[in-house]
Amino acid sequence: MGWNWFGPVATTRWVFSAKLGRYGLVPQQHLGLVSILAAVLVGVLILAFILVAFRDLGRLRTGISRAWAIGRTAFTEAWSARIWAIYIIWLGLVLILAFTMVRGYGPADEMRMYLTIFLRGQVVLLLLYLGILACMALPRERERRTLITTGSKPISRLELLLGKVLGLSTAALVLVLAMMVTTWGFMTLVNAKIRHDAGVLYAMQKRSYDQLVRHVPPEPGLRYLARHGVLQASNNLRGRLRIAGLISYATNPPQRELKGGSAEKLLFQFPSLPATWQPQAPPLFIFHLPPFSLLKRQVPKKTIIHVTLTANDNPLHRKHKVLTLNADGDAVWQPSNPYKFFSFVDPRNGRVYDPGPVTVGVTCPTLGDYLLVGNGRTAASAACKAWNMDPNRVPGHLSFVLPQPDPRIFGFMKSKHQTWQEIAGATTAQKNIPPEVASMEFRHLQASQVPIDHDGNFTVDLLLGVNKHFNEAAPAKALIRAYAVDNPRHPVQRLIRVEEKHVTTLKLPATLLDGSSLIINLQSAVPGLWIKLRSNSITLARPPSPFIANLGKSELIIFCETVLLISIGVAAGTCLGWPVALLVTAVCYLLGSILEFIHRMFDQISQGFSFFHGGEHAAWSAHLGWLIRAVMVRTLYFLVHVVPDFTRFDPTRFIVQSVNMPWAFLGWNLLWTVIFVLPTLALGYLLLRRQELA
Amino acid sequence: MVAPAQAIQTRQLTKIYPGFWKSQKVPALLQLNLQVQQGEIFGLLGPNGSGKTTTIKLLLGLINPTAGEAQVMGRPAGDQETRRRIGYLPEESYLYRFLNARQTLDFYGRLFNMNRVQRRRAVDYYLDFVGLDPAVRGRRIGTYSKGQTRRVALAQALLNNPDLIIMDEPTSGLDPVGILEIKNMILRLKQAGKTVLLSTHQLADVEDVCDRLVILYRGRVEMSGALSDLLERRDVFQLEARQVSPELQERLVALTRESGATDVQIIRPRARLEDLFKRLVDAKRQTERAGK
Repeated sequence: MGWNWFGPVATTRWVFSAKLGRYGLVPQQHLGLVSILAAVLVGVLILAFILVAFRDLGRLRTGISRAWAIGRTAFTEAWSARIWAIYIIWLGLVLILAFTMVRGYGPADEMRMYLTIFLRGQVVLLLLYLGILACMALPRERERRTLITTGSKPISRLELLLGKVLGLSTAALVLVLAMMVTTWGFMTLVNAKIRHDAGVLYAMQKRSYDQLVRHVPPEPGLRYLARHGVLQASNNLRGRLRIAGLISYATNPPQRELKGGSAEKLLFQFPSLPATWQPQAPPLFIFHLPPFSLLKRQVPKKTIIHVTLTANDNPLHRKHKVLTLNADGDAVWQPSNPYKFFSFVDPRNGRVYDPGPVTVGVTCPTLGDYLLVGNGRTAASAACKAWNMDPNRVPGHLSFVLPQPDPRIFGFMKSKHQTWQEIAGATTAQKNIPPEVASMEFRHLQASQVPIDHDGNFTVDLLLGVNKHFNEAAPAKALIRAYAVDNPRHPVQRLIRVEEKHVTTLKLPATLLDGSSLIINLQSAVPGLWIKLRSNSITLARPPSPFIANLGKSELIIFCETVLLISIGVAAGTCLGWPVALLVTAVCYLLGSILEFIHRMFDQISQGFSFFHGGEHAAWSAHLGWLIRAVMVRTLYFLVHVVPDFTRFDPTRFIVQSVNMPWAFLGWNLLWTVIFVLPTLALGYLLLRRQELA
Repeated sequence: MVAPAQAIQTRQLTKIYPGFWKSQKVPALLQLNLQVQQGEIFGLLGPNGSGKTTTIKLLLGLINPTAGEAQVMGRPAGDQETRRRIGYLPEESYLYRFLNARQTLDFYGRLFNMNRVQRRRAVDYYLDFVGLDPAVRGRRIGTYSKGQTRRVALAQALLNNPDLIIMDEPTSGLDPVGILEIKNMILRLKQAGKTVLLSTHQLADVEDVCDRLVILYRGRVEMSGALSDLLERRDVFQLEARQVSPELQERLVALTRESGATDVQIIRPRARLEDLFKRLVDAKRQTERAGK
C-alpha cells in the first residue's frame, strides 16, 4: 500500500503509465516523467479544488464564533437526543463481553483482550451513532425547517457546514474522554488485582522454597508482575531483524537457502523482457529451486512456491501464482496476460509497448522445506529465468533472459497475517547443517540511548516462543552472541533459558555500545528445538511511558477516525436525504475499510481476465462476461482509492502489545485525518454553496 | 424634496420551481416589481399560493431567483452583511425544540456576533418585550404552547434591533390580546423609524397598520398602492355623534334626502369585538394581580 499515498493521484499515474503507455500514446522514453507530471497535475487540481471550495475562508475569520454557535447547538441537540446512552450501552456491552470471553488466559493476554474489547467497542459504537447523527444533521434541519430561521441570519454556508462538524466532533470528544477514563479505571483495577495475586503467589512460593517445602525457586516472572503489573507502554528500542535461512558453508560463496513456512521472500530483478506473440512458443518463467527438508515426513509432501510478478513501473500490474515444484525443484509458469510484463508489438499500429523491468518474488509456505537458491549468473544454476522470444530485439539473448545476479532475500517481511517466524535448531535429518541464526541489528547505538545500571550493563528484553520437533524433555535454551560491528572479535556470549511468551531479561555490558551497530545473534542451543520470534522479539529496555498517555494516543486515533466519518456524513447530508446520506457514508466507510481486501481480490481476479486464454474463438458471451467483470472490478478498484482510507486508523496497534505509540505514528494519523477531511468538507461546501435552504 | 431611500426594490423578480424530470414547472412568482420605502409598513397580501412567502425567501436569499433581481437595503438580496440589518419572523415558528427560550435567543445572538453582555441584555429585554411569561423561559420550546413559541420567534426577529423587519403571518397562533399587542408593536416599530414588510391573510391586521400594500394573485401583482387610496369611498359620507335625539335623527335624514342624497340610512356603530375582549382580559388580569 506504500504507493497509494493518495488515491486519485496514484490512480492517475496508473492510468498514464499502464493504459496510455500500453497503446503508445505516450513515448516510452518519457512515460515515467509524463505519468509523474500527470499525477502532480492531479494533485495540484485537488489542491485547487480545495482552495476554490474554501475561498470564503477569509470571511471565516469573523465567522468562527458563528460556526461555533452552530456547533454548540448541534452538540446540545446530540446531547438532548441522549447521546450519553451510547456510553451506557458501550459500558454494558464491553463489560458483558469482557466477563464472558476473557477467561483462563494469562495476565498479559487478559489485558490484551480487555483492551481490544474496550477500544474496538468504542470504535464500533462511536462510528455507528455519530455517523448516523452526522448524516441527519443537515437533512433534519431542512425537514424541521429550522434552516429557514437560521439561514435568515448573517451566516454563510461554510460556517453552517463547519459548525455541524465541530458540534458533532465535540460530542465525539466528550464520549471518547468518558470512555477513556472508564477504560483506564477498569484496566487499573484489573492490573491491581493481577499485581496482588502475583505478589501473593510469589510470596507463597518464596516461603515454601525458604522452608524447603518446595525445591524450585520462586518464579522471577511473578515478582516482575507483582512489581510492574501488565499496564505498560514500553519504549524499548527495536532493531532490524534478519533471518537469512540456512546457510551452507560447504560452497564458496556460501549457498543460501529460502526458508519454507516463513515470510522470507526471494526477489529477482529482471530487465525489460522482450517477446513476440507466437502461440507455439509463449513467453514464460522457469524456476529452479531444489528443495530439501529438515523434518522426517511419513508421507512425502509436495513443495509449493508462491510467485509474485510485478512490473516495476506500474504496481498495479501484479500477478500471483501458486506453483508446485517437481522433485528436482523445477516449475514453469506462463503468465495469463504477459503483455503486462513482456514487451510486445501492437499488431494494430506496429507500436512497441514495453512495461519496463519486472520483479519476481518467491516465497515458500511449506514449513520445514528449504529451497536452494542459485546465484543467477549462469543459465544452468539460475533460480529463475525468463524465456526470451525475440532474439532480434535483444541480440545475444537467444534463449533466456537472466535476472540480476545474487537475488535479494528479505529475511523477515512485515506482514499483518504472519507475525511469528521460526528459526530451526540443529537437526538429525541434515547432519552438516548448523542451526539457523536470527540476527537483530541496532544501528549506530550510543550508550546514552539506553539506561546503564550500576554494574555497567544494559538490559535486553527477549519475547520468544518455542516449538519442539523432537527432544521434548530437554529444557528450552538459546545461545546469544552479541558484538559491536566495529569490534566483532570480542563478542559476548550468553546461554539463556527460553520461557514461552514471557519476557526474558538479559544483561549485556555497556562496552558493546560504542556508537557502531550492535548485532545480537540468536540461535537454538538444543537439537530439535525451533525458536519462534517476531520482528520486535529482541528489544533494548528503556524507561516506559505512562499507560494513561499511551491510552490517550489510542483514543485520539479513535477520535480522528470518528471526525473523518462525521465529515463524510455531514458532507453527504448537504444534498441528500438522510437515508441516502447514511447509505453513502456507510459505503464510503466500507470501501475505505476493505482496501487491502480489494487489492488481494484484484490480484486474484485479474488472473481470470485472460488476454489469451479466451482466445479469439471464445464465445461472444464469454467476452461480454469478461468485459463486465473487468469494468466492475476496475470501478471498485478505482472507488477504493478515491474514498478515504480507513485502514490507516488502528487504535489497538501498539497498546495491546504494551508498546508506547510513537509520536510519529500519531502525527501521521492526524495528518491523514486532515488530508482526508479537507477534500470531503470542500466537496460538501461546493454542494451546499448554491443550494436553496428553504 | 429628497425621495426616501428604498428598503426593498425588486425588478422583474421571478421564481419558477423546477418540476421533476419533464414534469410541469411551478411558477411561484412572475416579474414582481416592488418598492418599499424605508420607515413604512408595507403589506403583502394574497390568497394561498400567490407567492408571498416565495417573495420573502427571495429577499432573504434563502432561495435563488429564476430571473430578475432584488435589492435589500441597497445591496443584493441574500448578502450576508445585509442580513445583519434584517429581522425575519417566519410563518411558522421554526425553532429548535430542544433549546429553551433563553438558549434560543442566545444562539441567534451569537450568530449576530453579539458579545456575552449584549446577548444577556438583549435576551432579557426582548423576552420582556414580547411578553413571554418568565416562568416558562427556562423550559424547552418543545413544551411551549403555540402562542408562547410565536412570542419567542418574534423575539428572535427583533433581537438584532433590525432596520427591516419581515413578518410572515405574525399573528398566527396568537390570542386576540396578543394580536393587538403585535399590531401596537408594529406601529411602535414604525415610530422608531423601522421598515416593516408584513405578509398576512388577516386583512384586518393590514387595514389597521399598513401604509401601503400590494395584492398578489398566482405570482402576479393584481393591485398596489397606499391603503388610504385603495380603501377610501369618496362618494359616501358618514357623520358620527353622541346623544342625538330621535327627532334630530329624523330631521337629519329628511334634510339629507331633500338635498338629493341617495341610500341614506342611520347605522349604529358597534364596538369591535377585539376591543371588548381586550378590555375583559385586562380587567381579569388586574384582578388576579391585585389578588396576589
